[in-house]
Amino acid sequence: MNSIEEFNSLEKKESYYPRLVEELKRANGEFHAFNLINEGIRAGFPFSAKDNICVRGFEATCSSKILKGYVPNFSATAVSRLGSAFGFLGKTNMDEFGFGTFGINSEEPARNPFNSDYVTGGSSSGAAAATALMKYHVALAVSTGGSISSPASFCGVVGYTPTYGLVSRYGLIDYGNSLDRIGIIARSAGDVRHTCGLLRGTDRYDSTCVDHNVASDGKKTLFVINQLNEVLDERIRAPFESLLGKLENLGYVVKRVDLDIIGKAVGIYYIISSAEASTNLARYTGFKYGYQYGRFTEYYNDFFSNARAEFGIEAKRRIILGTFVRSASVRGKYYDKALRARRLLIDRMKGLLKDGYIISPTMPIKTPKIREVRELTPLQSYATDALTVPPNLCGFPHISFPFDYIDGMPIGAQIITDHFNDDAIIGFVEEWERHFKYRFKHNLGAL
Amino acid sequence: MDEKEFDRLAMHCRIRLSEAEKAGIRKEIDEVIRYFGIISEIECDSLQEAYHPIDIGQRTRPDRTEEYDDAQGLLRNTKTYRFYVVGPRV
Repeated sequence: MNSIEEFNSLEKKESYYPRLVEELKRANGEFHAFNLINEGIRAGFPFSAKDNICVRGFEATCSSKILKGYVPNFSATAVSRLGSAFGFLGKTNMDEFGFGTFGINSEEPARNPFNSDYVTGGSSSGAAAATALMKYHVALAVSTGGSISSPASFCGVVGYTPTYGLVSRYGLIDYGNSLDRIGIIARSAGDVRHTCGLLRGTDRYDSTCVDHNVASDGKKTLFVINQLNEVLDERIRAPFESLLGKLENLGYVVKRVDLDIIGKAVGIYYIISSAEASTNLARYTGFKYGYQYGRFTEYYNDFFSNARAEFGIEAKRRIILGTFVRSASVRGKYYDKALRARRLLIDRMKGLLKDGYIISPTMPIKTPKIREVRELTPLQSYATDALTVPPNLCGFPHISFPFDYIDGMPIGAQIITDHFNDDAIIGFVEEWERHFKYRFKHNLGAL
Repeated sequence: MDEKEFDRLAMHCRIRLSEAEKAGIRKEIDEVIRYFGIISEIECDSLQEAYHPIDIGQRTRPDRTEEYDDAQGLLRNTKTYRFYVVGPRV
């Protein structure tokens, strides 16, 4: 029985939801998982939405000052599809517009429920922290380059990113149109299976959402890519080798292979994602959505430039970078080339995925402290996306799941499969969970 | 990227930067652009660009008028005057 079915089978007192909200508000003072808590929740299995997913009548800020005060008058399809069996609990913290690996690009960064000195990962920082805090809860999260897997790994929960196009993105505030995906962060693969079954299906409001059968074609071969293994910190490599040994004992065959181009995926990804981000963020000009600059006597160039000074530093960096790679004189060298390189990477990865899954740790490093990542240069930070970028760039479904604990902090592994074979990897993690018990430090809302 | 080129780029982006931000971002962007050079080593010029990771067919919505239950709500986030959105001077 998954925790959604368990929750529904348990009797709850009338005071359950008000008490949950009070517990959560107290915990949020320390962990900053939520940007907004819905104090009006009175029924349903609690779910949260990342703060870039629209919920009618609730502020959506993307953790950005430029969107402060924006209240959408419609809900995202993913939110509507959860239906009345789910109760909306709040909007979760994130890196501004999804720009970040560690969750620190927010006015008040979310903190890791295992130890609040440590990062949660990002950009779905609050979604993973909320899931690690609460006994009964699922989070709607969003991934562009690893924003579900990274925080799921650092916070010791399960993060599922579906095949590109499988879940409608209507009502999602875009970062990168050819990359963004709404997925799920939960405490078990069973909760993921239950929830994603409700989200899938075409949507007349999203022309990139496809009608496709989802397969469950189980594989017994696990490919470990040498170029990905080379970037691992030694403290991650040893437990990962131990995981592979355990999976061999469960009947899986591990094969080590070369895939040269995968080492260049981070470069390809940041060209495409910055280019798309720079066009998507052009709409925030200080008068139509959220932040009201208000000095209407200024001419529009000055008005826009002054209003857009409200973006955070990483957003400014990516807008400028994305505008550069799209500029006429270098577009062929960077943007067009990156799109063709993505095609090559898809083809090469598909060559492996027809015969098995690709497995790796989710993050190449153990969970860092917040003060440590503040000292990284942008390029050092981008480099830590080396393992999560390839499946995101290529639209492959993948799941991060906890497999060990180092110094009390969880570490996660990531399993990748071919397009539309999503249910197979959910099944893989369900099998893993029969042999490995996840640990949680908090169980808010336990019955 | 020299200072003049960077200023022109920031102007196109319509983002006002402080002097401290400008110095930091320019240096960081130079470093990232140098790193982007690694994609020149990839031999893929004969391939089609992958604008999406899967073939999506780009369906279009039927072009028809629909009733919307909260048309006023569309303007709720903006300053309005006689049902117009108020914007900066052109």
